[in-house]
Amino acid sequence: MNATPFLQRPATIGKRFGWAGGLFAMVIALIVMASTNQAFAHAALIKTDPVDGAVMAQAPARFSLTFSEPVSPLVLTLVTPDGTPVTLTSFRLSDQTVEIDNPRPLKSGTHVLSWRVVSADGHPVGGSLLFSIGAPSEPPAVSETVDWPLRSAIWIGKVLLYIGLFLGVGGAFALAWLAGGGRAGQRLVAVSILCGLVAAPLSLGFQGLDALGAPLSHLAQPVVWRTGFGTSFGWTVLIALIALGLGLLSLAGPRAAARLLALAGLAGVGAALTASGHASAAEPQWLTRPLVFVHGAGIAFWAGALVPLGLALKRQAAGSVDFLRRFSRAILPVVALLAAAGVVLAVIQVRTPSALIDTAYGRLLLLKLGLLVFLFTLAAVNRWKLTASAEAGATEVQRRLARSVGVEVLIVLAILGVAACWRFTPPPRALAIAAAQPVSVHIHALQAMADLSITPGHAGPVSASMIIMTGDFGPLDAKEVTLVMSKPDSGIEPLKRAATKPGDGSWRVDNLIIPVPGRWTVRLDILVSDFEMVKIEAPVDIRR
Amino acid sequence: MNKYLLAAGAFLVLGTNAAFAHITLETQEAAIGSTYKAVLRVPHGCDGKATTAVRVQIPEGVIAVKPMPKPGWTLQTKKGKYEKSYQLYGQAVADGVKEVDWSGGNLPDEFYDEFVFRAVLAADLPPGQMLYFPVVQECGDAAVRWIEIPAAGQDEDALENPAPGIKLKPKK
Repeated sequence: MNATPFLQRPATIGKRFGWAGGLFAMVIALIVMASTNQAFAHAALIKTDPVDGAVMAQAPARFSLTFSEPVSPLVLTLVTPDGTPVTLTSFRLSDQTVEIDNPRPLKSGTHVLSWRVVSADGHPVGGSLLFSIGAPSEPPAVSETVDWPLRSAIWIGKVLLYIGLFLGVGGAFALAWLAGGGRAGQRLVAVSILCGLVAAPLSLGFQGLDALGAPLSHLAQPVVWRTGFGTSFGWTVLIALIALGLGLLSLAGPRAAARLLALAGLAGVGAALTASGHASAAEPQWLTRPLVFVHGAGIAFWAGALVPLGLALKRQAAGSVDFLRRFSRAILPVVALLAAAGVVLAVIQVRTPSALIDTAYGRLLLLKLGLLVFLFTLAAVNRWKLTASAEAGATEVQRRLARSVGVEVLIVLAILGVAACWRFTPPPRALAIAAAQPVSVHIHALQAMADLSITPGHAGPVSASMIIMTGDFGPLDAKEVTLVMSKPDSGIEPLKRAATKPGDGSWRVDNLIIPVPGRWTVRLDILVSDFEMVKIEAPVDIRR
Repeated sequence: MNKYLLAAGAFLVLGTNAAFAHITLETQEAAIGSTYKAVLRVPHGCDGKATTAVRVQIPEGVIAVKPMPKPGWTLQTKKGKYEKSYQLYGQAVADGVKEVDWSGGNLPDEFYDEFVFRAVLAADLPPGQMLYFPVVQECGDAAVRWIEIPAAGQDEDALENPAPGIKLKPKK
């Protein structure tokens, strides 16, 4: 960070613009990268050894996957019958075939070889194949493993980006609009912006890794960056970079333009946050996106002013009292807007009060609210107890105020840290949407087959819809269809409901209540003719 | 409840293999190439409702079917072509009764009745195997379909509504 002293020396304007040039080059590079993201034919898996579903007496020495074009593996995982994932790192590429060494003797049972590769067109494709040693067993449940190094990297990147946007660009705004001629805190503000400038593109890479499920060591691969840019977070990074650049320019550029640049930067902060994230994705979009904008810009206004203000008061810098007066006059409406936007967004995201405690998202919100209570108390004391005397010029009070502002900054940092955790917790709103998704199962037997979907796919009141066909995909005009759901391990007697024909070619069962989640056996009794019934069944997993 | 359990127990102890709640055939074994008198035993209605019709599908290989009329019931048969022709007293038979219906009657749930037909079991039926007679029991707008045939290796007791069947014995 030895670039920061330049910013305080008027003689190095050329270097300042060198920085800005570099920034814009980076932005252009990102745009070019994104635009080359065209659709080519993706690589398709054409042959595997062992074949999917194979039962072998002995474990093979290696596995091979042959694709329609040359590929390069991103992640190869072998899940053993007990559910332990083993990352396979030893492989060779020969033309279109990936040969993977089997690292260990395999126990008997069903294994899953999960692969994700990237082909020449840059598109990642993934899949998995099952094979068994000795005899098939219950396929292992592929547990979600958390890549903690990557998760930490994403979190740190996010916090640094927040620091750049809120303390950096927000600080630049405070310096341009509120500080009068004072430059206290300019160095810290510039450092914050530089933090953001480094963190923003790195976050994009982390985002790409996360989207691909690839480990941190793959960060250098171009596909990771293209993928990251392809997500909505790409826009956030792009706009954030512009906002950070505007903030930097307002610090370094000519004073006449500083205010305009800083204002544009502040708007950029709001816009960057609007481009991605849970809150921006929520419905109704016409409401949530502007609210996120107001919330983000408001935070930048408030948090950004704290560092320059605190330092100005501490140093008893000239004009610090005017700075304090302008800030305390403007802050009330800003915080009111910021809080109102935050409350509405929280209500949209959390939906029910119980979700505050039941979900990780809700608990993070409570934590953030706890910190906010602290922050607001402190801010209120500052505003109504200390500000008046400080404005009147009481030195001791100004020192106390400066200390208090310092604590405020620390709390703000903690809040940013908490807010960055939301990256990993879907909000209750999204959880509710996910829970409402149906479960579908295709049941195929010699005499008949069916596509069955149960909506919503969790325990409770559901309805089931079925399309019945003959075993060779022909039409099957069944006389009656009965849905039988059983869960022998639960001690619940089978639920049996006659399906009705709504007239669109499907069969329906409404008002069915599935009492408990878990693996159920669903059976369809299809009366093909008066004296002939076909029974087909399959397991279906009902969510909680 | 206990009474029924006792009764069920008694059935098991006595070794009758007729599950007493199902529609079954009285004679459960017959030699191929012989005349068979089928007596369908109807022990109850459909979930408490009175039985109003009994329909039997005649399986392939069962020929020269003659149902016995029943007072109070309308007797009908549906005829059709067999899958192949069978020899009956030196003559080829290629079609005949494929379904027997007794309908329009009223057999309350608490009463028991029997429905009878006579038929010839063709000599080329496979001895040692089961032959099933799927039955549809109608009770007004409700119905119970005794039409389930166990898959290879499946236990007949596992079926909810098994079709009544007989074991084919070698020709005498």
